[in-house]
Amino acid sequence: MWQMVGRRETGRLPPHKFRALLQKTRLYSIELAGHKEIASAHKSGVNSLQIDATEARYLLSGAADGSVAVYDIEQATAYDHSTRTSKHEALFMVDKRVLNGHLYSVSCVHWYPIDTGIFVTGSFDNFVNVWDTNTTQVELQFNMSKKVYSLSMSTLATTHMLIATGTDDTRIRLCDIASGAFTHTLSGHRDSVWVVQWSTRSEWVLVSGGCDGAIRFWDIRRAGCYQILDQQCSQIGRRPPVLKKSSRTHGREDNLCTKYLNASSPIRQRGQKRSFGISAVDSRTAHYGSVAGLQMTADGLHMISAGTDSRLRLWDVESGCNTLVNYPSTYIRGNKGIQMAVTPDSSLVFTPSLNAILVYDVWSGHSYSSLRGHYDQVNCCAFHPQGQELYTGSNDRKILVWAPRRPIDIDNFDYEDAEQAIKADEDAWSD
Amino acid sequence: MMKKRDLKSLYSWAGSIVASSTPKKTEKRAKREQSATSEVESLAQDSHQGSYEKEADGFTVPSDTAVALRMIHGQFPKIDKVSVPPFVLISQVYSIVKDRTLVDRELEVMKQDKDVRVFKLSTGQDDFAIMFFDDYVSQVNAIKSRLDGKHPSEDLVIFDWYINHILPIHMDAGITDFHLESILSGVGHQIQERHISLLIKAGLLVRQLAHERSYWLAIPNIGSLLKSLSQGRKELLSLLNRRQYKEVLLSILEKKKLRMSQLDMRFHVRDLLGSGQLFLSHTPAGILVRIPRD
Repeated sequence: MWQMVGRRETGRLPPHKFRALLQKTRLYSIELAGHKEIASAHKSGVNSLQIDATEARYLLSGAADGSVAVYDIEQATAYDHSTRTSKHEALFMVDKRVLNGHLYSVSCVHWYPIDTGIFVTGSFDNFVNVWDTNTTQVELQFNMSKKVYSLSMSTLATTHMLIATGTDDTRIRLCDIASGAFTHTLSGHRDSVWVVQWSTRSEWVLVSGGCDGAIRFWDIRRAGCYQILDQQCSQIGRRPPVLKKSSRTHGREDNLCTKYLNASSPIRQRGQKRSFGISAVDSRTAHYGSVAGLQMTADGLHMISAGTDSRLRLWDVESGCNTLVNYPSTYIRGNKGIQMAVTPDSSLVFTPSLNAILVYDVWSGHSYSSLRGHYDQVNCCAFHPQGQELYTGSNDRKILVWAPRRPIDIDNFDYEDAEQAIKADEDAWSD
Repeated sequence: MMKKRDLKSLYSWAGSIVASSTPKKTEKRAKREQSATSEVESLAQDSHQGSYEKEADGFTVPSDTAVALRMIHGQFPKIDKVSVPPFVLISQVYSIVKDRTLVDRELEVMKQDKDVRVFKLSTGQDDFAIMFFDDYVSQVNAIKSRLDGKHPSEDLVIFDWYINHILPIHMDAGITDFHLESILSGVGHQIQERHISLLIKAGLLVRQLAHERSYWLAIPNIGSLLKSLSQGRKELLSLLNRRQYKEVLLSILEKKKLRMSQLDMRFHVRDLLGSGQLFLSHTPAGILVRIPRD
């Protein structure tokens, strides 16, 4: 560490590299935070977590008894001097006692991308509620008529404020907050839709993963999906940059058009084109089981998908190919989706797997560590970009905080406390 | 500048590794070794003259996955009752080559080059069997000759179509009715129900339970081996679970024989290592095989 600072001082290490190295060493040393604790207000398993995108200050959590709570993760509500941990309690909690509150399990929560004045929740009682944060009342309700598994709002959207919902129904319905009605119905999946995610590259592209194992890309300006990910269609590693092989990109553009029209012909790396009819398209799957989680990288060029066949796959979004990165020893089963987290520089992915969270390197699939601390199945992860902290919620009703290892704070060392601790250790009869 | 003696010993050392690990020598490898020795001689002459020439084509260093495949292929146990050519499970390859992403990618390249063929087995969600292309083709031909007297020849032509048209084009482990039809109509043949039922009877296609009209490509006569695979796994895991500390030295384990499996102990140990149900650790007493406690 000090050697690194010395090299930065003499100019041998450029500033951006110094910053990146520092962040990397901190990130790889993530463990249970001793200095921070979240007092979960829930009396049942935590199903979904989200940190707001605007200032990354508030954590929204939804639980299996229909309760939703908000925590301030920067400002502590209490400070425990003996253990030197800051305790963060819920700012408020809403459950079925509130008018129009959720009666059954809340499966997904989402902050409004523009500010924290509104948040959206979806639950197994078939309703999607839009809440006002300050009055903690339900402002708008959408009746989906089937269990809601997942919802998402686009963080890039400037022209629309649509909520994409994945339900037990095979159709994905987009709800509009501005008008209070359903604007789109996207059909194509053959079974219930467990995950929906908006693309981080375009405000019009929606990705959905279903119980049938298929991952579909939809452009909401047009009808029908324009891409289905096929696990057999693979490429070795990342694609070469566009400038090098212009002939191939030209061919790809052609294929993109035919793709949109017929939704067929997956492209292979070697330029072999296969043509299938429309009926064959439906059977292409991204996973052998159901798709349990989707996470796009920050630049929107790659996507990680988790399936109940206990596999994680890294997809190249533009070409629609499986990059064949193998993430070993995941264990994902269950009857609902999981929420994964990716660091903003797309170097690590955190996956819940039974009682632990597995940390993998995104590009090589190397498993760095497994974070153990929960007593029951972990359901969701949320990564705090600035603080490099990971918040995880599980069926044991707790929200745990994982942070990089902290050095002992010598300046604020409390001598009185230390003295008392030492005195307590002494035996009463020792000389 | 490398001396003549060093180069020769280097090549012979590499050749000896490949040779010692596989008792059987197949044609391709014998050819490769011959070319290797001829390269050594030519290179020896060049370096003696003081010039180092880059190795000419004919000898390419095989990839990690290819070497591991050959090694395990050679160690396939002898089974007397059924005639199945040796296959390798992908979990066995994972247990040997540590980097799984590399294995996946090199395997994909080998699939595209039509060196190997990957099949999905029905014993578990993640079981894939890898078989060399030539072995599989010879197996299909053996089945064709076995069914020769019993079916009319226009039905048996489906086996030729299978080898010549379907296998080279379709690389996936599964296939649908529609794909079969489209591939064969592309070359001018008309496929009918009786052809498909003949392929199913021969054991080359297996119906998929999840989707109608789609099939898994399969290895024929593999039923009893699949049974011994799953039962052998269970037996090995129960053998370890019964012990007090759920571990046993590898040297002791190798001497035991599994009662319910025709495949040998080494096959099952490698397979379970690769799928993460067993772990190896090095101790002063030798290599220890244990079941992880989490």
